[in-house]
Amino acid sequence: MSTPDAAEPTTTYEQAREELADVVRRLEAGGLTLEESLGLWERGEELAQLCQHWLDRARERLAAAAPPDGAGQD
Amino acid sequence: MTAPSSAEAPWPVRTVARKVADWIGRLGEVWVEGQVAQLSRRGGAATVFLTLRDPAADMSVPVTCHRDVADRPGLELTEGARVIVRARPDYYVARGSFSLRATEIRAVGLGELLARIELIRQLLAAEGLFDAVRKRPLPFAPAVVGVITGRDSAAERDVLVTARRRWPAVRFAMHNCAVQGPTAAASVIEGLRRLDADPAVEVIVVARGGGSVEDLLPFSDEGLVRAIAACRTPVVTAVGHETDTTLVDHVADVRAATPTDAAHRVVPEIGEQRRLVEGLRARARHVLTGRLDQQVRWLESVRTRPVLASPDRLLHGREDDVLALRTRARRTLAHRVEAAERDLEHARARVTALSPAATLERGYAVVQRADGTLVRDPAEVADAERLQVRVAGGRFPVRVDRTTDREDENP
Repeated sequence: MSTPDAAEPTTTYEQAREELADVVRRLEAGGLTLEESLGLWERGEELAQLCQHWLDRARERLAAAAPPDGAGQD
Repeated sequence: MTAPSSAEAPWPVRTVARKVADWIGRLGEVWVEGQVAQLSRRGGAATVFLTLRDPAADMSVPVTCHRDVADRPGLELTEGARVIVRARPDYYVARGSFSLRATEIRAVGLGELLARIELIRQLLAAEGLFDAVRKRPLPFAPAVVGVITGRDSAAERDVLVTARRRWPAVRFAMHNCAVQGPTAAASVIEGLRRLDADPAVEVIVVARGGGSVEDLLPFSDEGLVRAIAACRTPVVTAVGHETDTTLVDHVADVRAATPTDAAHRVVPEIGEQRRLVEGLRARARHVLTGRLDQQVRWLESVRTRPVLASPDRLLHGREDDVLALRTRARRTLAHRVEAAERDLEHARARVTALSPAATLERGYAVVQRADGTLVRDPAEVADAERLQVRVAGGRFPVRVDRTTDREDENP
C-alpha cells in the first residue's frame, strides 16, 4: 500500500521513473566501487517504492472515480 | 399478378378500377396552366369542382380541390380566370372518374409578384445579407429558445413537442403572431425585436406551416428580412414546406425544412448526448487504465532486473576477489617462511661443520690459561699453574706438574 499522505513525496512519478532507469543503467554498466554500487542500489529501491506509491495512488483515485455499473439512469 | 383477361376470364370492374387507379397514382405532381371553364361549390361541401380548359385547344380536364385551396384570400377564382394549378392526377375508383387533385391554385399575375421578390432577393444578396460568413453558429444547448409562430398552430406544437422530447430542460419564450395576411410581417418583426432584446433567449425559431405562395409572401418581406439580419441572436427559420423558399430562409442563420426539423437543430437530443458523454468517459478511463497498467508492468520489469532484485550479487564477485587475494597472500607468505627455514638449515649445517666440537669429539682437547688464552707451547705454562681443559664432554681444571717432565721425555 502507499506511504502515509503526511509524507507525500515531492518527486513526481516521471522524475522518479527517469532516475530509476538511470540508476539501473549505471548499476548494469558496472565499473563502480562497492560503496557506490550499494548507494545506487539503495537509491534504486527508494525510487522503485516511490514509483509504486504513485501508481498505487493512481489506482485508488481511478477506483474512487469509478461510476457504478449501469450509470447514467438519472 | 392478375392473370391476363380474356372473353372466358374477364376481370371484374374493381380489378380494372384499381389497376387504373394504381397507374394514375404513380404519376407525379404537375404544374398546369389553364382557364377555369366551370366552377361548382356545393353548399357546405369540403370539395370544390372545376373544369380546366386549354385556351388554345378544345381540351379540358376536371380538377378537384379542398375548399380552402379555392377560397384562399387573394385568389379570385371565377369562371374564365387564368390560373396555374399544382395538382396530382387522381382516379376516383367509386365513379371511375379522373381528375387533377389541386393543392394550390395561383392566379396568373402572381408571377409579377414573384418577379418583384426575385428583384429584392438580388438586391439583398448584393448587399451581402445572405453571405455564408454572416451565418452564426447555433448555441449547443440553449437555456431559452425564442419561438415565433401562429397561436396554437401545428408549427408551434411541432417545435415545442419535439424540442421538449429531445431536451426536457429546454425553456421557451413564446411570441404568437399573425403568420399570414397584411399584418404578418410587422407582427413577426415585433416578435423578433422583443425576443432579441431578451438576454436569456439564445436562439430564435420562426416557424410556420405550409401554405400557398401568397400565404408565405410576408416571409419574403424586405423589412422582415432586414430585421432578421439585424438580430444579435441566431435565427432559425422553418417556413412552409421544404420546397417553398422564402427570402427569410436566405437570411436565416439556419434554414430548417420543417418546424420539427427546426426543433432538431436547435436543441440536442439528451439520450444521444448522454451516450456521447458515457462513451467519452469510457474512452478516457480506458486510456488511463492502459497507461497505468503499462507503467506498472514497466516498474515490475525494472524491479525484477538482477541488479535491483538480488543486490547480494553485488557482493558475489567482490567476495571471490577477496578470497583469491587472501589465498594468494597466504601462499606467498608460506613460501617466504619455507625459504627462510631452508636458509637457516644450511647456515646451521655450515656452522656445525666449522665448529671445533667435531675435533673435540674425535678426542682432542683444548687447554686454556686462566685468562682464556689457548696454550700452544709447553714453554708457555709455568709449574703448578692452573689451566682449563676442554674436551667434547665439557671442561675440567688441571695443575701443571713439571717434576714429571723428564720421566715423560724419557720413558
